[in-house]
Amino acid sequence: MTQNLERYHRQMLLSGIGEEGQKKLLASKVLVLGCGALGTVIANMLARAGVGHLVIVDRDFIEITNLQRQVLFDESDVENAIPKAEAAKMKIAKINSQVTVDAIVDDVNHTNIEKLAQGCDVIVDGVDNFETRFVANDAAVKLGIPYIYGGAVGTVGMTYAILPHTHNGESPWEQAGVATPCLRCIFEQAPPPGMNPTCDTAGVLGPAVSIISNFQVTETIKVLTGNFAAVRDKLLSIDIWENDVRQLKVARAYDVGECQCCKKRNFEFIDGKFASSTTTLCGRNAVQMTQKLSDGEKLNFDTIAKRLESHGTVKANKFMLQAHITDNGEAYELTLFTDGRAIVKGTKQPTVAKSIYAKYVGA
Amino acid sequence: MTTTSTIIPVAIPTALRAQVDGQSQLEIPGDSVKAVLESINTQYPDLGKRLFKTEGELNRFINIYVNDEDIRFLDNLDTAAKAGDELAIVPAIAGG
Repeated sequence: MTQNLERYHRQMLLSGIGEEGQKKLLASKVLVLGCGALGTVIANMLARAGVGHLVIVDRDFIEITNLQRQVLFDESDVENAIPKAEAAKMKIAKINSQVTVDAIVDDVNHTNIEKLAQGCDVIVDGVDNFETRFVANDAAVKLGIPYIYGGAVGTVGMTYAILPHTHNGESPWEQAGVATPCLRCIFEQAPPPGMNPTCDTAGVLGPAVSIISNFQVTETIKVLTGNFAAVRDKLLSIDIWENDVRQLKVARAYDVGECQCCKKRNFEFIDGKFASSTTTLCGRNAVQMTQKLSDGEKLNFDTIAKRLESHGTVKANKFMLQAHITDNGEAYELTLFTDGRAIVKGTKQPTVAKSIYAKYVGA
Repeated sequence: MTTTSTIIPVAIPTALRAQVDGQSQLEIPGDSVKAVLESINTQYPDLGKRLFKTEGELNRFINIYVNDEDIRFLDNLDTAAKAGDELAIVPAIAGG
């Protein structure tokens, strides 16, 4: 198929891309995991850059509080209660009709990640929790697909490009000698729920997510155009309010570490070893979630209670924490137990419960 | 013989500042990462609880960098801290 390349003229002037690189972008397929603050910028910029096929997966609907930073959405999407992935597909169709978008309204987890990632050239991370990131990291290493991590909250953000070590060492980036350690080499374990602030409890500045996600897009374009040596091999950490920029050196992690994922090829997250599970509680309009914590780990109710106080009424004792929260006009009762178990009352939908948990407790 | 420990600046991420009275940087004496972190644990026990799983063992979701090098790939807690070095506590960022 002959495609009109005129719209990419300014991009093709770049020596690292050119017409050949542009054709590679048009022939590429990218999996965008999550279509919130990071994901909308990622999908928007990849579509404008002419990445030919985007698979966008997100479980949520658009809320009015999303519009401050989620650049593909507008007020009519909120009024019409459009799922994020579908709204993104509709917007991208107007931005660049040369791009094919698969919109998938679903939770990303260990049961579906390999199917989603199969055949994709890059996985780009726009999710809001570490369990899903480690699932994606497992898939990236197992299937030999580059994975571009990004995370942002408040005014800080972090990004890192994983060019995974594969089972046979024959990937083009390994041939070029630039494979990088995986996410689990760097963060051996996910922070426990409630340990770190979330965008819904601590807030987030739009530019923080835009900056991080544009770094992710840049690294994705480098990978898709075969510019593997240009990919940053450091963990970039930025606080845009305090003008603090760090490039953390992590390249030795693969050689020195004993990573379960990329060194031992033991894909614990895909195998479901650490998977949270949800159960709709019969007759109760509630969903129970079981979040697996590390051995001996317990939720810190003091920290979580302080964060939730600005969102509703919170009471806690040494056994449980209960909060009444209004989210997007809907009332929920969130009950947490020290072992990580949670009951979200006010919905029968596991995806809604997971969303409430990720927003207000975090992972 | 008297020895004077070097003062090591320690960068505190926004997420952990509530545990250190809002300070973005601490000035902690010590000649190794272990000495600096143990001193933090004594002065700021709330932060210490976030850093250490048990005595002498860091939580695995907290990364400590000396001059932007991860201590796990240096000498871990025994990594030396000398004049001019900077220690940074860097937790994973989950939001998105």
